[in-house]
Amino acid sequence: MSELISLLMPSLFETLYMVLVSMIFTILLGLPLGITLVVTDKNHILPNSVLNIVLSYIINITRSLPFIILMLAIIPFTRLVVGTTIGTTAAIVPLVVAATPFFARIVETSLKEVDYGVIEASIAMGASPFQIIAKVLLPEAMPSLVLGITITLISILGYSAMAGVVGGGGLGDLAVRYGYHRFQTDVMVATVVVLIIIVQITQSIGNKLSKILSKK
Amino acid sequence: MINIINLSKTYQKENNTVEALKNINMKINKGSIHGIIGFSGAGKSSLIRCINRLEEPTNGEIWIDGINLMELNRDQLRKMRKRIGMIFQSFNLLSSKTVFDNIAFPLRLSKVPESTVKEKVHSLLELVGLKDKEKAYPSMLSGGQKQRVGIARALANDPDVLLCDEATSALDPKTTKQILHLLKDINNSLGITIVVVTHEMEVIKEICDYVTILEDGEIIEEGSTTRIFSDPRNETTMHFVGSNHELPKEFKKGKVLYLSFIGDSAGKPIISKLIKEFDIEVNILSGNIEYIGGKPIGKLTVEVDTDCSKIPEVISYLENNNVKVEVIK
Repeated sequence: MSELISLLMPSLFETLYMVLVSMIFTILLGLPLGITLVVTDKNHILPNSVLNIVLSYIINITRSLPFIILMLAIIPFTRLVVGTTIGTTAAIVPLVVAATPFFARIVETSLKEVDYGVIEASIAMGASPFQIIAKVLLPEAMPSLVLGITITLISILGYSAMAGVVGGGGLGDLAVRYGYHRFQTDVMVATVVVLIIIVQITQSIGNKLSKILSKK
Repeated sequence: MINIINLSKTYQKENNTVEALKNINMKINKGSIHGIIGFSGAGKSSLIRCINRLEEPTNGEIWIDGINLMELNRDQLRKMRKRIGMIFQSFNLLSSKTVFDNIAFPLRLSKVPESTVKEKVHSLLELVGLKDKEKAYPSMLSGGQKQRVGIARALANDPDVLLCDEATSALDPKTTKQILHLLKDINNSLGITIVVVTHEMEVIKEICDYVTILEDGEIIEEGSTTRIFSDPRNETTMHFVGSNHELPKEFKKGKVLYLSFIGDSAGKPIISKLIKEFDIEVNILSGNIEYIGGKPIGKLTVEVDTDCSKIPEVISYLENNNVKVEVIK
């Protein structure tokens, strides 16, 4: 048992490190991207159809690639960003690249749910586009955004299982190396159980937080 | 106060051009409550939304207090909009913010110091009668309460003009009356110019001093509310004021006259004098008194059963007594 735990713990930390750091960068990049997608729509506050279409295409292209292929395809980019192509930190780069467009689409959907009447009322009050984004769009969409972050977090956890390919480690890698290659079923089962627990905890925290934030 | 010159608005949808407003010219007096009424699709919402350029006019000029809004750049327009409050049919409150924060919102946009915000919001809450609701969220309020928050929010910047876009159309008749009274009080106490768009004549009758009737993007009639109600000239206007008097066939035996008693004449016993003087029989078919802008207008539909020779004299007698006469049959 203690042997199992000593196997699991480092992998669990690798996973949590990869997932959480990736999530932070995904929010930092995906949120502005999602906001841009919404506000540059032709019927929104900063219409710019060229930017809107270009962004939309880029997002669709990135989202068409399966994660494992994307991870290998962007190896030169990974080296440029973090200086190495193997290890846990190196796995974060493709995770962010894959999750950002996914999250941007989720942000887009959440922000589009905000009643345009409320935005119009803010325009009528003399709000600037920046004020509308910061004080109307984001606060009004917050409960939905929190759920979106939860979904993205769980997706990143799923992608991170493939990080072993670039030596990123983590729970997925542990399950492959011990559970699959060495036929250690107990490691496989333990990994699956830990993953289930992480997903359950993440989802219920997300649901609860969203509910607290929602005043509707 | 507000002067709209040659305003037009066309919508382009693919190959379809819709002229929502055609060459609108109108003046709205300072301190008045001005109603704009029309059927749906008449362009009344487009018109009010052009006043603060929420809708961009295709052509024309919008003057408010000597400033042409069409010549303002983005920053100037934002500043100008702070002088124009607006309320909406669907209230458009921020669901994530409390009543207090909703009313404080326009003040915080202008970076007003928090102590001033607090003071101002509390006085507004008192004005609209929601002192005990400051910590409530919009979802906990009734429609009427939501619109009160909307009004308080629209007044936060001490605007010169308040635009009301179908502000009572989502409310029940009783709440509508309360909101209209609130608007009237605000107009009286703050001297703010109010523009009201509606499809309900009740709203016009209750609070408006002047009214503009729109049809198919054009002004078909305008004037003081009293004049429009007592002497509607256009067919659509008649429809709105309910004077397209349709009577059951069996009533129409003699001459049917439709009388409007305006001002003083509403208080005089004109009909009984008429009967004595001309020695005729008058059968009253229907009648009522409406108060329009505080002035009584008596409406009476009567049947005069006499040979037709006396009719012209009867009419001139009535008209000499300030009664407007319409011969229906």
